[in-house]
Amino acid sequence: MTTPTPGSASQPAAESAAGQAAGHGPQYVYGVTRSGAALPADVAGLEDRPVRLVDGGGGCAAIVSDLPGNRPLGERADLVAHQRVLNALVEAGTVVLPFRFGSALTDTTAVEKELLADNTARFAEALDRLEGRVELRLKATYVQETVLREIMDAEPEIAELARRLREVPPDIADAVYYDRVRLGELIAQAVTRRRETDGQVLLEAAAPAAEAVSPKPPVREEDVLDASFLVTADRRAEFERVVEELGRTHADRIRLRLIGPLPPYDFVPEV
Amino acid sequence: MTGPVAQQTSGSNYVQRGGSGSSLADVVDLILEKGLVIDLYARVSLVGIEILTVDVRIVIASVDTYLRFAEAVNRLDIAHDGTSQGLPQVLDGMQESGAKKKTKGALEGASERLKETFGDSGDDEDSEKEEQSSRRRSRRKEDE
Repeated sequence: MTTPTPGSASQPAAESAAGQAAGHGPQYVYGVTRSGAALPADVAGLEDRPVRLVDGGGGCAAIVSDLPGNRPLGERADLVAHQRVLNALVEAGTVVLPFRFGSALTDTTAVEKELLADNTARFAEALDRLEGRVELRLKATYVQETVLREIMDAEPEIAELARRLREVPPDIADAVYYDRVRLGELIAQAVTRRRETDGQVLLEAAAPAAEAVSPKPPVREEDVLDASFLVTADRRAEFERVVEELGRTHADRIRLRLIGPLPPYDFVPEV
Repeated sequence: MTGPVAQQTSGSNYVQRGGSGSSLADVVDLILEKGLVIDLYARVSLVGIEILTVDVRIVIASVDTYLRFAEAVNRLDIAHDGTSQGLPQVLDGMQESGAKKKTKGALEGASERLKETFGDSGDDEDSEKEEQSSRRRSRRKEDE
């Protein structure tokens, strides 16, 4: 990862050059930014189509490309393209209002009129609120071995069941299938109980350095926390230090992963 | 603690970093479920998106998760079965004997699996089929 170098991609030439061939037919919308924002020169959209800005005249512009017409959208490459375009702006320090995957309008005129002109005030306000801020996502996961030992140590019922099952010879393991399921279920419940406390500890420690927080329900049993934070540029180093410190403190039992900077997907205004 | 070390963004021993170019698995739920939704007359409806969203939400069936835990606990015990130590002693021993290395391996295994589920290898269909058949297997076992 390199530090974004401001000014390295400030030629809107690509926009007009591509504008000739592109722009007819359905338009895929990646997000909205400010009029005149510099699009990174080499960023490619869906199926490597050129990405353009469509200006709505009210200070906001949509980031669009032609929509590939002959197939349903949603392949892995499509998702990657959506993310790549938005990330290119984030990397360049340009404020962007990310759209959910799969937003497309009938043509460029619809983008100008229906999308931009009709929503200028709303978009401008949202961009103001996101200016100079990035999303950082913190995922925390238990070190499985450590937390399993904690549970075996603290919960005799589980430890006893595990001991009994371990003595079952492999050739009749099928006979205790339901006991193994039961053991796993008890462990899963024990992990979940621990997560409530541990997740809260992490969240409360990281939140003060952020402007807003969006916690997500953990997906897997061993997940401790999954939360996105909206962080201002001037406090990003501080936020990362806090996370680093959390990682150090809990290193023996919790692994932290910090993802981003990301487009502020979690902090767009409600429609 | 001096100097430019703090500026480093490539992660540390304690926090793994996924930069903005991070893997799809790290952000796929955001792309599909967050972000601004436009609801306009001129909107082109794109076939396939709703289905895709549902697919991504597939969570491994509980029974499989439980069996995975049971297996992990089993492995945990076997690893230290040679000595007839009680659990607290085993715990002490663990901390000295490079527990970090082992747990790191286990964690990487888990994230590999996640990547498969989310098709990080670009091989979506295969991993989906795999997941389905493993679910079928466990269902069969239940029926026995």
